[in-house]
Amino acid sequence: MKWNISTLEELEDAIWRCTACGTCKVAYDYGPPSQCREICPAGTEFGFEGFMASKGKIAFARGILSGELEWDEELVEAVYKCTICAGCQSQCQLDHKPYIPEIFEALRRKAVEAGAGPLPAQKVIAQSLRSYDNPYQGPRRVRTDWARIFKKGKQKPIKDINKEPAPLLYFVGCTGAYNVPERVIPQATASIFNKLGLDYGILGENELCCGSTAMRLGDAEAFKRMAEANLETFKKLHEKQGVETIVTACAGCYRAILKDYSLADEYEEMMKGIKVIHVSQFLYDLYKAGRLEFSGPLPWKVTYHDPCHAGRHLTKFLVDKDGSQLWAGAYISLNEEDCLYDVPRDLLKAIPGIELTEMQRIRANSYCCGGGGGVMTGFPDWAQRNAALRIQEGMETGAETMVSICPFCHYNLNQGAQGIGSPMKLLDLTELIDRVLPEKEV
Amino acid sequence: MHVTNKDAILNELASIVGKENATASKHIRYAYSYDMSFVTPKMPDYVVMASTVEQVQGVLRLANKEKIPVVPYTAGTNIGGLTIPERGGIILDLKRMNKIINIDTESHYAVIEPGVSHAQLASALYKHNLRFGWPVGPPSASVSSCAISHGIGGLNARYGLNSQEITSMEVVLPTGELVRVGSCAINPEAWHSVLPMPQMDGLFKGWLGSTGVVTKLGITVHPIPPVLKVFTVSCQNVEDMVSYMMNLSNYEICDDLTAVSWWLAQVPIPYPYKPKPENAHEWFCFANTNSFTEKEKEARVEIWETVLEEEKKKGTSIQVTQYPEEALRARTHLPSQIVGSTKNYCKQGGAGISWPGTFTPANKWAPVYNDWKKILIDHNLSPSIRMSMYRGVHYGMLRAMIPFNKKSAKETENARQAIVECLKVDLDHGGMPYKPPVDYAIEINKRAHPGYLLLLKKIKALLDPNDIMNPGKLGI
Ligand SMILES: Cc1cc2nc3c(=O)[nH]c(=O)nc-3n(C[C@H](O)[C@H](O)[C@H](O)COP(=O)(O)OP(=O)(O)OC[C@H]3O[C@@H](n4cnc5c(N)ncnc54)[C@H](O)[C@@H]3O)c2cc1C
Ligand code: SF4
Ligand code: SF4
Repeated sequence: MKWNISTLEELEDAIWRCTACGTCKVAYDYGPPSQCREICPAGTEFGFEGFMASKGKIAFARGILSGELEWDEELVEAVYKCTICAGCQSQCQLDHKPYIPEIFEALRRKAVEAGAGPLPAQKVIAQSLRSYDNPYQGPRRVRTDWARIFKKGKQKPIKDINKEPAPLLYFVGCTGAYNVPERVIPQATASIFNKLGLDYGILGENELCCGSTAMRLGDAEAFKRMAEANLETFKKLHEKQGVETIVTACAGCYRAILKDYSLADEYEEMMKGIKVIHVSQFLYDLYKAGRLEFSGPLPWKVTYHDPCHAGRHLTKFLVDKDGSQLWAGAYISLNEEDCLYDVPRDLLKAIPGIELTEMQRIRANSYCCGGGGGVMTGFPDWAQRNAALRIQEGMETGAETMVSICPFCHYNLNQGAQGIGSPMKLLDLTELIDRVLPEKEV
Repeated sequence: MHVTNKDAILNELASIVGKENATASKHIRYAYSYDMSFVTPKMPDYVVMASTVEQVQGVLRLANKEKIPVVPYTAGTNIGGLTIPERGGIILDLKRMNKIINIDTESHYAVIEPGVSHAQLASALYKHNLRFGWPVGPPSASVSSCAISHGIGGLNARYGLNSQEITSMEVVLPTGELVRVGSCAINPEAWHSVLPMPQMDGLFKGWLGSTGVVTKLGITVHPIPPVLKVFTVSCQNVEDMVSYMMNLSNYEICDDLTAVSWWLAQVPIPYPYKPKPENAHEWFCFANTNSFTEKEKEARVEIWETVLEEEKKKGTSIQVTQYPEEALRARTHLPSQIVGSTKNYCKQGGAGISWPGTFTPANKWAPVYNDWKKILIDHNLSPSIRMSMYRGVHYGMLRAMIPFNKKSAKETENARQAIVECLKVDLDHGGMPYKPPVDYAIEINKRAHPGYLLLLKKIKALLDPNDIMNPGKLGI
């Protein structure tokens, strides 16, 4: 398969659009009332320019391209001190805005090519992908452990889509399958699907990592291997088992399949007849169609955390490629229709009894939990400290529970809450919906 | 292990600010080595982040003892290379000293640390319906650095320069002593006024960080009048615009009285130079007024209409016009992410921007503009020029915002040459550059009265005997 994954050199012109104005350092909204808070987890933790927002990473990229900087241990570490959250991207207004996370990842790809990256702790991920097809060093047979509860009692076992046809593939993702505290997410998702009587299946032990982590770490080869295998599987499942929709409850998998996979020349062809959808959108569509009725009430005061991968990472940018509108390469506008900002909020509001209070930094200005971009593996302490900052922001709203739609955020924010002894819990939206969705009458 | 002097200095710095806040890593130093201006990048030897006054004192004492240059830094957005170290040394990054110490809602002043950004202070003041003169710069840049560098904000026609809003200061001298000027010097709780004592705040304003490190700053803040009315006019030539602005300025009804050439009114500034369409007016003006009541607004409208009539009677080409919407928003919604991110200026040009920014008598604006226009067009650059009037007096800011493609050394040098040429013209007309890069400082000093240079050197030597503070920037 041919991939259009940019090299740092290909992004050089974009890199030279950054004026070093530093607007990317804070989430600022004129309002009124005007609001301002930190946006960059790396800058917040490490402070020096360089760590701070796009401005810093772009400085590193310039230095590497010009030969003024060379890969040494400290620079490599600095390049990985970034959650690739794209918070900085949301602030920038210049022509390289659409490419900002891509520049960071291209810089990491350059480090990987030079044999300098990723960090030793993160290299284990690539190794694990090779040995186990998941980043968690978990044997393949463990992948379905979460589903054991569905084999008990009255529960209906989940269909193995390799063997039986179904229009709906639930792509579980490695975090939900292997990271034990995160198993609640696939369990809630499957429980909801069962209650709704949906005809769906899972790949079980044959499911492979989506490759998102590898891509974020700059390991394009590992990413391509996983992505190509998955695209082949999806195509086969469509042709042989009638799969039309891939639903995932993982923001990382969703972003990867929707966006990263589309960098393959054959994406359209491989995904022909298949649509990928995040579970929150999937449930929202059912809700709008009157097929999701909640019992209640759930008298909780909650706040909502926008995960980067299901939020601003899905922004589409309009660029004047050929110069016919402004000039070649001009960034024209953005479109947030794919960003899951309103969908989870509307679902939360639909649950009887739920009171939703907002944090200051939301939607495109959401403050990253601190877990992405390989940070949870590379710098677990920092990831946890950063999550604690977000939990504190949630607590400022008076909410008792924080809700999100990403297993990474789920894990890291709960770690953060524990770290500071906060009573706040992070629940996945599916967990709430599962609680209020009545068993379907048969 | 062989411990070099550099290692030893780094260890000492680390013992002052903490290991994680002192570095000599090349990539971090590199990130501080350039800004958006044409000024040639230069590397510092160390970067340290201080978070307390004691740490600032510690760093300066060490630097003074070892005779190492120190460059105070908050966000580095001054557009003049002012935080690019001319002689290496220590970049003293103050972004973590970002406490808003007090907002006195009764006496109308705020006390802030140097790392407090415009965006941060704007949102804090907004809660009390208070405001300050926000520049059109990045929202993340420092309020105090702007004020001590004679920065210009959106209230300059009403209250003057942001430096004129300073009420008190706490400063660490290059030799490490902590000093205070203004009312806080006499009563540590009183930060309301720099008068009526000898105005020693002048020792730290406009010195580009070369006389000490400001660690606390008192500034006046003002109520937000709820009724905004912007008067927008345009005309065919600079002479007509200057006539209108001088006339309107007599009545002192504006918070901001600014005119921009057609090229600066474009979003973004065209790069390279593009001719103005024949039928388009060459000058646009917005006069921001804020009133407490509708009646007050009506009175301002009445004055403005009178001025307009008078200008028409004179036969000028002034006419009421629509100001481009995004450009107007960027001038009235301050601090502004749009204009602060340099979008309006650089989006087409590339990573570079510099200016000849000056305070020039209004009766010289037209001849200077006409010369600048020629120089800039000769260099294939847009004459994107701004004129802003201050507080009823007939002088104010005259500056050209010049974007350029910083990726190209040739285009950067072209912009530098054009800008320095423009600056010389302005100096010859009695203009004074603000936040001057070294190139300008040299031009200023060439023309300076010997007594000025003598005094400048004497004060500098008195406060900074080892010339460690941002050395080289004053061109002496
Ligand atoms: C697009 C754009 C538009 C702008 N528009 C305006 C405008 O309208 N008006 C305006 O005034 N400015 C403007 N600026 C310039 C600049 O953004 C502001 O003046 C800003 O507030 C400077 O803050 P900074 O944190 O970037 O200062 P820096 O660049 O970090 O510092 C400025 C100077 O102050 C010194 N310094 C910093 N901290 C201290 C300290 N604590 N003690 C002593 N010296 C210190 C530094 O050494 C340097 O010489 C603009 C900039 C851009 C990019
Ligand atoms: S990335 Fe954008 S916002 Fe950040 S410094 Fe560069 S131009 Fe400014
Ligand atoms: S992507 Fe996030 S962590 Fe990385 S530089 Fe931008 S804001 Fe900081």
